[in-house]
Amino acid sequence: MSDIAVSVDHVSKRFRLYHERNQSLKSAIMRGRKSVYEEFWALNDVSFEVPRGSTFGLIGSNGSGKSTLLKCLTKIYFPEKGEIAAYGKLAGLLEVGSGFHPELSGVENIFLNGSILGMSRKEIERKRDAIIDFADVGDYIDQPVKNYSSGMYVRLGFAIAINVDPDILVVDEVLAVGDQQFQDKCRQKFAEMKRDGKTVILVSHSMDLVEQMCDEAAWLQKGDLKQVGPADPTIAAYLDYVNGPQG
Amino acid sequence: MNYLREVFASRELLANLTLRDIRGQYKRTILGQLWSLVNPLAAMLVYTIVFRFLLRAAPPPGDPSGLDIFPVWLLCGLLPWSFFSSAVMGGMGSIVGNAGLVQKVYFNRIVLPVSTIGAVAFNWLFEMAVLVVVLLLVGGWHVVFFLPAVVVLMFFLAMFAAGLAMMLSIANVHFRDTQYFLGILFQIWMYLTPIVYPISIVQSLSDRHGGILGTHITLMQIFETNPMFQYVSAFRALMYDQRIPDWQDIVACILWAVAAFAIGLAVFRKNEKGLAEAL
Repeated sequence: MSDIAVSVDHVSKRFRLYHERNQSLKSAIMRGRKSVYEEFWALNDVSFEVPRGSTFGLIGSNGSGKSTLLKCLTKIYFPEKGEIAAYGKLAGLLEVGSGFHPELSGVENIFLNGSILGMSRKEIERKRDAIIDFADVGDYIDQPVKNYSSGMYVRLGFAIAINVDPDILVVDEVLAVGDQQFQDKCRQKFAEMKRDGKTVILVSHSMDLVEQMCDEAAWLQKGDLKQVGPADPTIAAYLDYVNGPQG
Repeated sequence: MNYLREVFASRELLANLTLRDIRGQYKRTILGQLWSLVNPLAAMLVYTIVFRFLLRAAPPPGDPSGLDIFPVWLLCGLLPWSFFSSAVMGGMGSIVGNAGLVQKVYFNRIVLPVSTIGAVAFNWLFEMAVLVVVLLLVGGWHVVFFLPAVVVLMFFLAMFAAGLAMMLSIANVHFRDTQYFLGILFQIWMYLTPIVYPISIVQSLSDRHGGILGTHITLMQIFETNPMFQYVSAFRALMYDQRIPDWQDIVACILWAVAAFAIGLAVFRKNEKGLAEAL
């Protein structure tokens, strides 16, 4: 058993910025080749390790590559160079309620969304009550989800995702939605996961949240890893950089 | 082998996505699943009026079944065709249609085209069951002996459709023209397949002209290169004539299915990793 949950090893991710994207055959033929594009490295030789059982924050300004990194972690993107290794079951929560069908009921969507997130039918049946309980949508659970308020929608989606019970949970700025009560509930859930020795990797723009919850943090800036290590100094360095020009 | 295991592990997801499509499809309609019958019935009515009564197409009676009912003859070819065209069209659009999902969650992408085809196949199964009941009612009860073979043939046609859909779903991500182009192609393809007119018309035309443009290739031979020609012939043989199809047709159906599926799978696997970015 290693004490590392995720290792990111010299990862680089390239995107192609299309000047004129050929999504139609006509433009492809007219120009005689597929597209005109410029290369752009969204991640540049990023390496760090996430210790097992820690809560790890990814911080940085908009466009710094945080979300790209998350998508690489969750196998939605595949890096051009380098490798990412996850030791344990990794689940991503980049969006809540992925694949919800608006006309289907809450319960039907639990089964649908649960299996998209990789749960087996038996597992979902076992956790069904826990999910309904956490989502706290009351009698609406048998209603089509299109009738849900946005808060209920998010709560149901989050309740399913949190019950996937991964060893490593990757979360993208989803806590920003939902009311105060729900946010507190989520924080409790994260604390509980931490007690159970699970690893949480989260992206957030709220430095208060990162400071409160994370043990370690990594600061990305335009695809480069600026600093990684204990949360407080990393946040301080980031804030210094951000406030630098003014102060 | 690893990939197969991964696909097998996604079987519940596959089932759930198929169910999503089936359940969501006719929600909030009064007729519900019956809508799936309305399309083929309307087509049957139109084609029967146009081809049987106006153009006087007269397919030979079923041999040995003795059936001689144009609408039934038509449906034996039309139902497989309409499954095929909606399965390929649906499967082709499945990646683009689920772009939100592909960009947010990791799962085996292959379940998208395959589950779409599963949902279309469910409708087809329902339509074919109704057709079998009709066959029983009009005196073609021998069809029961051929039902297992019909199911196997349906499976191969679904496989053929899945192979094409996998290739085209990737192409559609890169060039959205694919879906519009295919819409037109399928219209032409349908009329190049003896569905609304009997093969005998092509055969006699071919015999009269002999080799085309001075070659030894006859019109019939060109028609026979169309995979749907063999599928439609095989379905008609089993259900309308109620006999075992020609062995050439059987072999062709299996070969087309296996080849299309193998190539489709290879193309899909090669490209699936780049999908989230390309969308």
